[in-house]
Amino acid sequence: MNKEHLKYLVKITLLVIVVSFIVDKVVFLALNTISDNVYSGQSIGKLNQYLKVKDSVDFVVFGSSRANHNIDPRIISKKSFNMGMDGVKIAYSAVLIQLLPKDKQQTILLHIDSNYAFNESYDGEDVMALASKYNRNKDIKIGIDKLNKNNNLQKFYWSLGYNGKVLGILKNYLDPKNDYTERLGYEPIYVSEIQHNIFENIIHRNEVIDLDTFCGTHYNINATYSQTLSDIKAFCDANNKKLILFTSPKYQYPCKKANAEFKALLTAKGLTYYDFTDFFKDDNQLKYWKDKTHLSHLGAEKLSEAVKEIVLKAN
Amino acid sequence: MLFNSFEFLIFFPLVFVAYWLLNNNLKKQNILLLICSYVFYAWWDWRFLSLIIVSSLIDFTAGLQIFKAQTQRLRKRWLMVSLVANLGMLCMFKYYNFFAESFSDLMHAFGWQPNDLTLNIILPVGISFYTFQTLSYSIDIYRKEFKPTKDWVSFFTYIAFFPQLVAGPIERASNLLPQMEKRRAFKKEWFNAGVIQILVGLFRKIVIADTIGTYVDLVYGDVSLYNTTTIIIATFFYAFQIYYDFSGYSDIAIGTAKLLGFKFYQNFNIPYFSKSLTEFWRKWHMSLSYWLRDYLYIALGGSRKRIRITYRNLMLTMLLGGLWHGSSWNFIIWGGIHGTVLSLEKYLKTTGIINKFKRFGFLGYPITFIIVLFSWVFFRAQDLQSAGLAIKKIFQLDLSMPYIGDLNVMASSVFVLTIGVLFDLYLFNKKIDLEDFGANFSGVKMAVIATVIITLINLFYSSSNNFIYFQF
Repeated sequence: MNKEHLKYLVKITLLVIVVSFIVDKVVFLALNTISDNVYSGQSIGKLNQYLKVKDSVDFVVFGSSRANHNIDPRIISKKSFNMGMDGVKIAYSAVLIQLLPKDKQQTILLHIDSNYAFNESYDGEDVMALASKYNRNKDIKIGIDKLNKNNNLQKFYWSLGYNGKVLGILKNYLDPKNDYTERLGYEPIYVSEIQHNIFENIIHRNEVIDLDTFCGTHYNINATYSQTLSDIKAFCDANNKKLILFTSPKYQYPCKKANAEFKALLTAKGLTYYDFTDFFKDDNQLKYWKDKTHLSHLGAEKLSEAVKEIVLKAN
Repeated sequence: MLFNSFEFLIFFPLVFVAYWLLNNNLKKQNILLLICSYVFYAWWDWRFLSLIIVSSLIDFTAGLQIFKAQTQRLRKRWLMVSLVANLGMLCMFKYYNFFAESFSDLMHAFGWQPNDLTLNIILPVGISFYTFQTLSYSIDIYRKEFKPTKDWVSFFTYIAFFPQLVAGPIERASNLLPQMEKRRAFKKEWFNAGVIQILVGLFRKIVIADTIGTYVDLVYGDVSLYNTTTIIIATFFYAFQIYYDFSGYSDIAIGTAKLLGFKFYQNFNIPYFSKSLTEFWRKWHMSLSYWLRDYLYIALGGSRKRIRITYRNLMLTMLLGGLWHGSSWNFIIWGGIHGTVLSLEKYLKTTGIINKFKRFGFLGYPITFIIVLFSWVFFRAQDLQSAGLAIKKIFQLDLSMPYIGDLNVMASSVFVLTIGVLFDLYLFNKKIDLEDFGANFSGVKMAVIATVIITLINLFYSSSNNFIYFQF
C-alpha cells in the first residue's frame, strides 16, 4: 500500500462517514416530524398518546400484550389509559412509569408474570422498544442507559432508534385508524376464525408436558427484574402513586407452585399483588380466549370488571 | 465471532490496518492473518481450535509425503491417512449420533432394545467446510494437479483464513494457496467492490433473511396448526431466507477477503433465475457443488460410463451432498429429490426429448423454482414427521386465508424482500456479478451507495439470528 492508496482510503472512509452521518440526521429529523403527528399504531402512536395524557389521567395500565389486550380501562375509570405494549416486559414499563408526574395521585396497574421474573436470562432488553425517543427524551435516555441496553452505534446513527418502526409509522401517518382516544389505549382482540381454529387445534392436542421443564424448579427472582420492581415501588411510594401488580389469566396453566412462590416473594417485598391466572377456572369458555395467554374482547371485559373491584378496594 | 456482530466491527478494521502496515513483509502478514483467524474462531470456542490445527498438520504432512513418495502404494497410503483422519473427525463430531440413533431405531424395529449409544457431542463450527478444504488439498496433490507447499504458515493460514473459516466458501488450495504465498497488492477496485459487497451481504443477511425468518420460524415451529396457503407462504419465504442468509454470508466473506487482497470464487449467482436444476446447481453454493462434482461425482465415474451409472453417480453425489448439510434423514431426502430431478433432466437431455419442448423453455424457470421450493420443505422442517405433515398439509389444498402473524413483521418482510428481489433482477438483467458491482465506482458514488445501504440497514435490520449455514 502506497501513499496514494492511503490517501484514497482515508478519503473514502471519511466521505462514507460524513455522508452517512448527514443523511442519518436528515432521515432522523424527517421521521421525528412525521412520527410526532402519529397517534395510532403501536410503532409510535401509542407512546405519543401516553406522553400526551400521562399528566391528566388517574389510572394507568402497564405491561405486555396481556395488559394491552386484556384490560379495558374504560370499565375502571373514565380518566385512564392502557399503556400495555405487545412484546415488552417490566423494564419498558418501569421507564414509562417514572415519566408520570411527581405530585399527582394516580393508580398504576402493572401486569407481571412469574415466567419472566424467574427467567435467569432476562436483562431488560425490552426497554429498547423506547429507542425511538432515545435521542429526544432525557428520562428515556437515562432509563435505557441505566440498563446498559443502548446500541453503541445509536450514538452516531440516530435513526437506529426507528429500526423496525418505519413502515408502521408511515402507514399510521398516511392512514390513521385508531388514535387510542376512544378506547383509552385498550386494544381488544376480536378473534378471527383462523385464530379460533388454531387455538382449538392446540388445546385438543392434549400435549403431555414435563412440569419441571415447563415450570422450572428454581424460583429465584432475576436480579434485573427484582431491581426494576424495587425502582418502580420506590418511585410510587415517593410520588403519591398506588401500585397494584397483577397476573392475567392463562388457559389451564399448571405451574401452581411457581405462582405461589412468586406471590410470596412479592408480598414479602411489601407489594400489592393479585394473581388472576385461574380467573376462568369455573367458567372456562373458549369464546373468552384467543390463545393460552391472551383473552378475546369478551374475556377481557370479564377480567376488567374483576380488576375494577380490586382497584376500587385499593383506593 | 459473527460477521454481523459489534465485535467484528472492531476486529476487522484493526486487522485491516495492521495487515496493510505489514505489507512489505509477507511472512509477518501471513502470521498476523493466522493469529487473527485463530482469534476469530476461538471467540466461539477456543477448545475446537485444536481440531483445526490437527487437521492442518495432518494434511500439511500428508501433502508433502504424497508428493515425495516414490511408489503409488505409498502415495495411496498417505492419501488414506488424510481421508481417514479428516473424514473420521467429521463423522465423529457430525454423524456419530445420527448413525447411533438410526442403528438403535433399526434394532428396535427387530425387537431388540440396545442401550443408548449416543454421546453428548458439540458440533464444531465450520468443520464441514474446513474438512472439505483440507481434503481437496491432499486429493489434488495425489492427482498430481497441485504441488504441496513447504511453507506451513501459508498452509495453516489457508485452512483457517477467517473470512471463509466457519461457513465457506470452500476455497480450493489451487486458488487460495498461491495467493497466500505471494505478495498482495492493495487495489482501489478491489477495495470498492469489497466494501459494497460486504454492505450488500449485510443487508441480505440482517435485513432480508432475518426479517422474513421470523414468519418462517413461527409457521415451521408447529406446521400442524396452519393451512395450505400459510405453509406455502412460509416455504416461499424460507426459500429466500436461506438464499439471502447464505449468499449474504458469502458476500461478506468474499468482500472481506477482497479488502485483504484475496480473490475468492463466486459462491452464488442469482440461483433462482435458473431454467433447470442443473443450472441451479451451477449458481447455488457453487464452491460446494463444484467440490462435489470434482471430488465425488467424477471420482465415481461421472458421466463417462453407461447412462445408468451416471444416474447412480448423480444420485449418490446428491445424497451425500444432502448428508453433508446435516445428520438427519431430512437432508438425505432433500438430496434425493435433487438427485432424482437431476437424473431426470439428464435423461431428457440424452434422449433428446427436451429438444421437442424447446419453445416452452421459459417454463423451466417456474418449474425449477417449484421443485426447489418443494425440496426446501424437507430442509427446513424440524424432523421427518414435520416435513411429512407439511407436505400433507400442502396437498390438502386448503386455500383459505393464510395466517399472517404480526402485520408489522409481514409488511416489513414483503418490503425488504421486494428490495432484495428487485436488486437481483437488476443484476440479472444487466448481467452484472455482484463481485464486480462496486469496482469502478467513483468516491462520491461509493459514499452515496454505501449511505443508502447503511440507512436501509439502520432502519430495517432485524435482531440477528445465527447464520443458517453455521450449523452445517
